Parts: sequence; structure tokens; C-alpha cells
Amino acid sequence: MTTKQLVLIKGTKEGLVLQLDDQCAYSDLLDELKRKVTEDGLEGQAEVTIHVGNRYCNQEQLKEILHIVQQSKHLKVSKIKSDVITVEECNQKLLKSQSATYIGIVRSGQELRADGDLVVIGDVNPNGKVIAGGSIYVMGRLKGMAHAGVEGNRECVIAASWLEATHLMIADLMELMTNEVTILAEKPEMECAYIHPNGHIAIDRLQDLRILRPNLSTFKGGS
Amino acid sequence: MGEAIVITSGKGGVGKTTTTANLGTALALQNKKVCLIDTDIGLRNLDVILGLENRIIYDLVDTVEGRCKIQQALVKDKRFDDLLFLLPAAQTSDKNAVTPQQMAKLVEELKLDFDYVLIDCPAGIEQGYKNAVAGADKAIVVTTPEISAVRDADRIIGLLEKEEIEPPRLIINRIRPQLMKNGDSMDVNEITTHLSIDLLGIIPDDEQVIRSSNKGEPIVMEPSTQAAIAYRNIVRRILGESVPLMSLENEHKGVFSKIKALFAK
Ligand SMILES: Nc1ncnc2c1ncn2[C@@H]1O[C@H](COP(=O)(O)OP(=O)(O)O)[C@@H](O)[C@H]1O
Ligand SMILES: [Mg+2]
Repeated sequence: MTTKQLVLIKGTKEGLVLQLDDQCAYSDLLDELKRKVTEDGLEGQAEVTIHVGNRYCNQEQLKEILHIVQQSKHLKVSKIKSDVITVEECNQKLLKSQSATYIGIVRSGQELRADGDLVVIGDVNPNGKVIAGGSIYVMGRLKGMAHAGVEGNRECVIAASWLEATHLMIADLMELMTNEVTILAEKPEMECAYIHPNGHIAIDRLQDLRILRPNLSTFKGGS
Repeated sequence: MGEAIVITSGKGGVGKTTTTANLGTALALQNKKVCLIDTDIGLRNLDVILGLENRIIYDLVDTVEGRCKIQQALVKDKRFDDLLFLLPAAQTSDKNAVTPQQMAKLVEELKLDFDYVLIDCPAGIEQGYKNAVAGADKAIVVTTPEISAVRDADRIIGLLEKEEIEPPRLIINRIRPQLMKNGDSMDVNEITTHLSIDLLGIIPDDEQVIRSSNKGEPIVMEPSTQAAIAYRNIVRRILGESVPLMSLENEHKGVFSKIKALFAK
């Protein structure tokens, strides 16, 4: 038997961390964890983050670990951290961070979906719909419906060379483009829609995006 | 080997049947051998516009179900010796009596005999539409300057772009220059930009069209009318000529002048 500690309890800036060894056998780890959390040394109730390191744990195993730690009335798990994800999860994340480009016209009755940002080079006609997990950029006339940040990201924007949409949706918000809204801009040229701090969808000049959403820029380095 | 062109629109009543009858007649006047197919099963009317309804014996459904030979079902238009024929729709069956596969096979056979097979499509995007498109090599989309018709045209173009046929071309029917000039209807430029497909031609709104349809004589047979010239121009474009867009009314010069640029490629 090694003398290496399989479960370490560390105090960090973010609070208590339960650092689990990621090299030993999984069953050894569970045994050690059971022992550790039922030790007498613990007092009161502390929030703890479980860190599984480079060990890949599936959902079942994570539940098992969580269950063991929850046996202790002194520890309350705030989150589980891991340094590894599966290739599939990684691909999912990649998709969401990528931008998809579509060249063509999204016509009445058609629907275009992207996991990440969506760039449409062409028009989105009335009753056509574009949906993206990220932001939507239309190099053309957006005259149909657009839903950005469809999984809840309120930072996303909808930008178009000609923004004349009938429905604008960002995350959980929807704006129907009634005449009152569109009347503000005589020519809806080069505009973008975003969620204003007041909680409503607002429309501004495309040029203002740089100030409104500086984080959308992924370009590294100076210019 | 001829070519098959489907005439479609999405919306009903915009002039598909009128267009089919007139383009077919105009093609026959140009010495082309033409077969018109009415695929609006249950609501046939191409025969009426051509003045052929009294001569129907068999129909489309009889043909695909093998109750008669294709030749037996074809109704000859006697005004054009052996150039213009109609395959009428069944009046009694329902739309599902024919499948897209059967239509494709039928059109393929007709193309051996004819220079042009024009397929008049029913309104909508269901079975009837699918049948009409099944055998087509090309498509013509008919719209009027009304927003609702243009919206449906957009939907149909989206569907046509998924088929293995050439990019569809557009006919804008029932144009009223005064309305367009006053901005009370979409203008030709707006419509073509919106739909972004090639414009094949424009047809004025003309009560003569209705009158001649009722007589069973397509308007192209009265060569002096504007609508007749418009249809004949379209046929010349189908045959590959480059014909400038007509100016519909001299006193409204300017309304159509911008459109000319579209053809001056
Ligand atoms: N250019 C035109 N000017 C005037 N009336 C027209 C014109 N084109 C079509 N019509 C009329 O409109 C009606 C519908 O036309 P039709 O060809 O039957 O449409 P669809 O086949 O698309 O349902 C008919 O009464 C027809 O006479
Ligand atoms: Mg019809």
C-alpha cells in the first residue's frame, strides 16, 4: 500500500476543496472517501467543492461520489469540478463556439439553425426563421424572424445590413416589430438588436456594438 | 426530347391556368409541338379556357391507371393542326389518385413526342403540387403584385430550390401600372429583389383576358392586345431570345423603365 493520500481536504480562496486522487483505482478512491468524510475531525457545516482532477467520471460515478460526501452532515457540496470532458462533449462545445455560414436566401416557411453564431449571406424573407445558440449576423435583409441565444445567453445580438424583422428574439425575450418600433429608424440600415440593461430588446446602430458588447470580439492582439 | 415546365404559384387564383393556356397556345403558334397537362384533379379548368371541355373522353387518372393509352386521352386543339394537345385532369377522383412516380413516368413519355410539356399545377403545397413538380425539368412561378401572393411565391420557390430542376423563373401577372405608380402595390423591382429569381415576364391586368378565357380562346389569339404581346414575349424568352421588357402604358412611362435594366444583362 502506498502512503499517498487519495483524498485531500484543502482550504482555498474559493473555500474548502475535496481533492480526489485521479490515478488510483476508482474503488480505492471510494473507500478512502467514505472513511474521510465520516472521520471525527470535521465540525460544523462547510461548503465544499469536489475536484475529481483528470479522472473521467460518468454521470453515475459522479452521483456515487456526491452521495458519499453527502453522508457527512458536516459537508455541503456546492459543485463538482473536473479537468476532463469526453471528445463528444468537446465537439459539442466546439460547435457552440463556432460560427456557421449560410449563403442563400431563407425563404418563407424555411428555418435555419446553428449551435453557435450564425452568419447569413443573403436575405431572410418574411416568415423565414433563423435560430442560433449564439449571435446572428445577416449580410442582407432580415425581414423574417430571428432568435439569438436560444439556450438562454442574453449577451447575444442580432445584427443585419437591413434590420426589418417581424419578430426579434434574444434568449427568453421577444420583440414584435410593430410600426412604433420600426418608425424610429427611417432606414433600418446597419443595425443591431441586443438586450438593454432595462431588460428590453433595443435596437441601435451597428457601430455601437463595439461599446455595447465588447466581449463579442474574439480577435486576439492589437490592431 | 422535349422539356417539361411546371407552372406553379402556391396561392390560387393568380393566373397559373391562364398562363399555361396562353404560353401553350403561343408556343404552338411558333410551330412547337406542345402538350398541356392539367394536374388540378377534382377542379379541372384548363380545358374550359382552351374551349376543349366538350371533347374530353379520358383523363389523367385513366391514363396512369392504364384504362387507356396516353394517345387516347390527349385532346387535340383543332385550331393548331397537330401542334397543341391537352391531357385533362380527372373531375371525379381525388388528388391522391396519382403519385409523383406515375407523373414522372408519364411526363418522361410525353417528352419523347412533344417539344414542350407544360404542367398546370394546383394551388397549395401538398400532393397536387408534388405530382405537378415530379416530372418537370424547369419551373415558372406566377405571382401577382399582392403581398400575400408574393409571400406564397417565396414559399414555393424555397420548395422548388430543393428539387432537381433549374432555378425557377418568375412571371408577375395582373399588373396595374397606376396602382404601382401610386405605391399602392409592390412594384416589379421590389418583387424581383424580394424573391431574387430571374424575371421571365410581366402581364398586365386586362379584362380582355377574362373575356377570352370565357370564350375558350386564349388571349394570345388576339395578337393586338397587350396581354397577348406580353405572353408572346415570354414565349420568345423561353425559346432563348432576349426580348426587352414591354412598357405597359406609354402615359406611365418610367414605372417600368428601371426594370429594363434587369434584362439588359
Ligand atoms: N392578366 C389577367 N388579367 C385579368 N384577369 C386575369 C389575368 N390573369 C388571370 N386572370 C383571371 O383570374 C382568375 C384566376 O385565374 P386562373 O388562371 O384560373 O388562376 P389559377 O390557375 O392560378 O388559380 C380567372 O378568372 C382569370 O380569368
Ligand atoms: Mg388553376
